[in-house]
Amino acid sequence: MSFLSGLAEGFIGLFNEGGSVFMGLVTGIIPTLVVLITFVNAIIKLVGEEKVENLAKATTKYRLTRYTIFPILSVFFLTNPMCYSFGRFVKEELKPAFYDAAVSFVHPITGIFPHANAGELFVYLGIANGITTLGLPLGDLAMRYLLVGIVVILMRGIVTEAITKTMIKKRSEA
Amino acid sequence: MSYNAVKITRGSSGWGGPLVIKPTETRNVVLSVTGGGIDPVSQKIADLTGGRVVDGFATSVPDDQIMVAVVDCGGTARCGVYPKKKIFTINLTPVGKSGPLAAFMNEDIYVSGVKELNIELVGDGEVLSSKASEAKAETPKDETYVALSKRTQTKKPNILESIGRGAGKVVGVFYSAGKETIDMIIRNVLPFMAFVSMLIGIILKSGIGNIIADWVAPFSSTIPGLLLISVVAAIPILSPLLGPGAVIAQVVGVLVGVEIGKGNIPPQYALPALFAINPQVGCDFIPVGLSLAEAEPETVEIGVPAILISRLVTGPISVVIAYLASFGLY
Repeated sequence: MSFLSGLAEGFIGLFNEGGSVFMGLVTGIIPTLVVLITFVNAIIKLVGEEKVENLAKATTKYRLTRYTIFPILSVFFLTNPMCYSFGRFVKEELKPAFYDAAVSFVHPITGIFPHANAGELFVYLGIANGITTLGLPLGDLAMRYLLVGIVVILMRGIVTEAITKTMIKKRSEA
Repeated sequence: MSYNAVKITRGSSGWGGPLVIKPTETRNVVLSVTGGGIDPVSQKIADLTGGRVVDGFATSVPDDQIMVAVVDCGGTARCGVYPKKKIFTINLTPVGKSGPLAAFMNEDIYVSGVKELNIELVGDGEVLSSKASEAKAETPKDETYVALSKRTQTKKPNILESIGRGAGKVVGVFYSAGKETIDMIIRNVLPFMAFVSMLIGIILKSGIGNIIADWVAPFSSTIPGLLLISVVAAIPILSPLLGPGAVIAQVVGVLVGVEIGKGNIPPQYALPALFAINPQVGCDFIPVGLSLAEAEPETVEIGVPAILISRLVTGPISVVIAYLASFGLY
């Protein structure tokens, strides 16, 4: 009989642990998240998409801004998945490169602006949870994740643009 | 060319529907946007109705020619994009009304959990033309504020009134921002927290964590290990399958987080790990993302392979950049 009760104890223990982890996530993360996302949503509504579009169009001329400021604006203001619709402001052969840069930013941004991709927070939060269990501050990781994210999307935009153009040229010769 | 109508009912744990659709001369394409070629459901619909099946990953088709889009979406993006474009959508995975575009996913345009047995030929009587299913798309406006602004337009507003209306408008914006946030938390964030807590609870309590520690930890606590993970996940055949809803990236993120918490992985490796587990981000969504950017079919045909190949190069490079940037972190 003690074996069975031990089994039941172990079984329930699994979900008590899960429950306490859930409580930790809800009390630790949700309150700040709700207030922060409400604030950012309000700003996006007040600024309005049209003003953002004109600003965004201006940044598509040069490669340096087309794969940094442009995707940041589209991911911040339109969030995932509508941010890719800003791809309509660039020429055809640049659209894959813009998509690559924008989609590669939808996770680095969630460290500081979770509203941009609330459906996929745990890419960052999963790892950040380990850092908080060690009692270390998160700000440093979140900021470096964002900054490295910007460098990576610039690199990805440039590499993908080069590959796309060579493939287009090869196709036109074939 | 004789076209027939088919009726598509939801699967056992599916949602929405039933849809009754029939191709017309202009709108007869069955667009299969599922990883790994054309899926059996799209093939069967095309065979029964006489429509034309197109692999959404190979090329894209103008929206007005698409009769129905078949996706295998994890619940964040693709399942909402086509209903927003008022195109009939079939989701192979049994996902309900979810994701940021859930407002557009209604029973008369979206059905999920569909298998081949849920598709049957029907007579012409009950055909729904896609225009008839006007998706109730816009988020419900708050009647009090809308009524307020209409009524005061008639006479010349004095100062007090315009201040009042301005304040009302701003408060209305804050209020709707709050509603949108709570809706997003309930629909997207809490479900994932429940799933992740269950996972962490079982891993920690049942000791599976130690097995994972021996398997995952050695890879993600050394730079060559992280580079290996990023190359494997970026393989062009694998990356579209690992991409949907970033579920794999989030689960691996949680696993690595648990190992960092237990000290098996040094904390400064958190930054390179964030990039090592995610070279496949968005690889399942390329054709849909490009269609949102109104790209031509030729651009999609070149864009999909171009990005998959580029990730083989940029995946590992991003890990190196993150490693260099992790000095002085913790």
